[in-house]
Amino acid sequence: MRIEKCYFCSGPVYPGHGMMFVRNDCKVFRFCKSKCHKNFKKKRNPRKTRWTKAFRKAAGKELTVDNSLEFEKRRNIPMKYQRELWSKTVEAMKRVEEIKQKRQARFIMNRLKKGKQLEKEEAINEVKKNIHLIKAPHAGKAQKLEEKMVEKLQEDVEMGDD
Amino acid sequence: MALARRFGAALSKISGTQHCAFSVSAAVAAIQKMTRVRVVDNSTLGNTLYHRPPRVIHVYTKNGVGKVGDKVLLAIRGQKKKALIVGHKMPGDRMTPRFDSNNVVLIEENGNPTGTRIKVPIPWHLRKLEGDYSKLLAIAHRFV
Repeated sequence: MRIEKCYFCSGPVYPGHGMMFVRNDCKVFRFCKSKCHKNFKKKRNPRKTRWTKAFRKAAGKELTVDNSLEFEKRRNIPMKYQRELWSKTVEAMKRVEEIKQKRQARFIMNRLKKGKQLEKEEAINEVKKNIHLIKAPHAGKAQKLEEKMVEKLQEDVEMGDD
Repeated sequence: MALARRFGAALSKISGTQHCAFSVSAAVAAIQKMTRVRVVDNSTLGNTLYHRPPRVIHVYTKNGVGKVGDKVLLAIRGQKKKALIVGHKMPGDRMTPRFDSNNVVLIEENGNPTGTRIKVPIPWHLRKLEGDYSKLLAIAHRFV
């Protein structure tokens, strides 16, 4: 028994779920649900359908090159059964899964951080542009009046000197 | 005059859609008489080209519908030959693969395969026919 990958969305296909299709060139396609199967029949390219993992990896939205992903690759060499190896492998699988989730999450967070920065800059620009909407009507007038008076006084002093 | 004729034609069309003038029966599906099949073993009879595709002329089941694992009679190159169905286009049982063509393997009277190799993938659940068609399962290269 093996948990296969859906050809279209790359999701897990558990036993008892989904559909298998054998094409005349002897290539086998597994689908996790009829949504993927129907899209396949419509000849949609999974690398262009935005909700599939294939698109996300191809568009750089998800972690692609990582050591923790190497563990998922299929090995075609059968191993002789050893009890300790078996139990150790199960523990290792749990740990690798943990690490993989964390790395994937961090990758996505890093990708979205740039967006937060851009948002902040946008907000500042917007406030600067539309300051006239939120500034109080007589906000800077007192200061301006003061400056004017200072200027006038200075002029008077200069005139007085002359 | 022309206007009246057009109205009359329109009326008859409307009345036609209200009841079917022909009878419809439920689809039989899978492999039945007169279906064209694809021979997937490497026998000469199945692989030499002929101007007519091999057709099913009899299905050895209680109803005339052949599913995977049923025996059928084919007409190939002007001869009659028995064959075993190893895959059809119709979606079958859950957990069985669906194939892109109606695949068939030529067989003798005693159940021995005519060819010596089957390169096309064969469904795994045919393994239960171990007793009758064990020779056929033995020459299959790939199970799916």
